[in-house]
Amino acid sequence: MDELQLLKDELSKRDAEIAKLKMALQEKEKQLSLRTDVTEEALKPLKQVNKLSNESISRYSRQLILPELGVTGQVKLTNSSVLIVGAGGLGCPSAVYLAAAGIGRLGIVDYDEVELSNLHRQILHTEDRVGMSKSQSVATTCHRLNSGVEYVPYHLALDSCNALPIISQYDIVLDATDNVATRYLLNDACVIAGKTLVSGSALRFEGQLTVYNYENGPCYRCLYPKPPPPQTVTNCSDGGVVGVVPGIIGCMQALEAIKIASGIKSSFGQRMLLFDAIDGTFRCVKLRGRQPSCPVCGDAPTITQLIDYEQFCGAKASDKDKAMNILEKEQRMSAKEYKTILEEKKPHILVDVRQPVELEICQLPNTKTINIPVSSLQKEEKISELRDRINQLKSNGDDKVPIVVVCRRGNDSQSAVNTLKQQLLDNNIEIKDIKGGLHSWSKNVDHNFPQY
Amino acid sequence: MELNTFANVRVLFFAKSRELVGEKETVINYPSRISTRRILNELLERYNSLSVISENLILSLNEEYLDINDDLIINLKTGDELAVIPPISGG
Ligand SMILES: [Zn+2]
Repeated sequence: MDELQLLKDELSKRDAEIAKLKMALQEKEKQLSLRTDVTEEALKPLKQVNKLSNESISRYSRQLILPELGVTGQVKLTNSSVLIVGAGGLGCPSAVYLAAAGIGRLGIVDYDEVELSNLHRQILHTEDRVGMSKSQSVATTCHRLNSGVEYVPYHLALDSCNALPIISQYDIVLDATDNVATRYLLNDACVIAGKTLVSGSALRFEGQLTVYNYENGPCYRCLYPKPPPPQTVTNCSDGGVVGVVPGIIGCMQALEAIKIASGIKSSFGQRMLLFDAIDGTFRCVKLRGRQPSCPVCGDAPTITQLIDYEQFCGAKASDKDKAMNILEKEQRMSAKEYKTILEEKKPHILVDVRQPVELEICQLPNTKTINIPVSSLQKEEKISELRDRINQLKSNGDDKVPIVVVCRRGNDSQSAVNTLKQQLLDNNIEIKDIKGGLHSWSKNVDHNFPQY
Repeated sequence: MELNTFANVRVLFFAKSRELVGEKETVINYPSRISTRRILNELLERYNSLSVISENLILSLNEEYLDINDDLIINLKTGDELAVIPPISGG
């Protein structure tokens, strides 16, 4: 018994030491990456070189012997700067290859901090950096790979005020963001500042790549003048994404930036790459050129300074989900209230409106859960199963049949309550959703319940 | 004399259009001579669910951008490939 206690004490002592070392390491890493908390303040002009050092010749020898690149190309790379906006699934692979190839200066913008659910695709962050600034984390990792590159991490959200001062200090901009508002902001800022925008995006098993505002090619608005309705936009958190897909697109963004910076022309100035990872296909669509009527890059532009992009898109400049309030208070119950229903074995019907694949991850402890995904709520065959169950409970003598709807975060469940009401048209039911969904269950009822 | 007044066109759906339509591709029997606007309109009639993003997509025919315009009449032939491409914004 004493021995056990001794070991436990020893273990907690060591844990404390490890925590201390981690702190010291983080501190050291911060100093190493040369800069912290850079804002839009002006940087010193990038030092221009006209020849390569012996060390550079050795380091870049494998690409120097390519006639398309050569010493001239490498010198141009060294004298160029690239700004990556978004230090996530696209930003990580693009940053690491730009650093490896010897770009002169690499700016990295991201307002966010590292989370565990990022690591399957945002491969430059590490487990012990959860909570650390993403831009800082990318700079730190890249610095270890190539300390000859100057890294400028910006721990901030790009907006209409800081975008132009930051962007105008770089030669090429990479759109590695995750939301519509920032994509329009970046497009307009690049047109106004006269910068080429290497744009990548990825969701599920699909990726897209285009180089905008390049050699009389189109800008983003030339192709997509109107932002999509916010409810039609799926983010990676809801739609999911396979890490390799942004990995591939991000690598191609780095490749195009390297080509442009070193004097080789980009292949995607007026073309869009469509990558389908399930089919293993790369399709290339030839695009139209710059539109003379475009409001930002056209002959008589109406947008000559940056606007409010969250207002323009009707959506926040982030991919974080916001809690919605569609239902009245009386139409909702807390996770704790549902726990009481379960404990008291109150007759009710639980409808889980997530995708079947999500039920495989975790479910509430109710063996009779009916699964009707939100996308199938209009389908009669799904509804009829629910009707049968309602009628069963009615024949048991319960007049108002309680129906409880649950989803992951408590947004879909609210719209589902409304849809089900219309579909069922039954006055003898009482239908509510669980506020905050399974996330709330995990937070307030069962701490061992997984969150995804 | 026109022998073939219709063309079987392979239609590919990308990104959000794939999700809304519920399939990756289909074949649509289009009139051989048709305005590019009508190509889109017939798609929207067939797939009502697409209408929410009808103004947020581009079309390509045989991997070339297709301007959606009432006055632009083009010739379609069987085997042509039409792609519906809304933007992806995630990353
Ligand atoms: Zn434009």
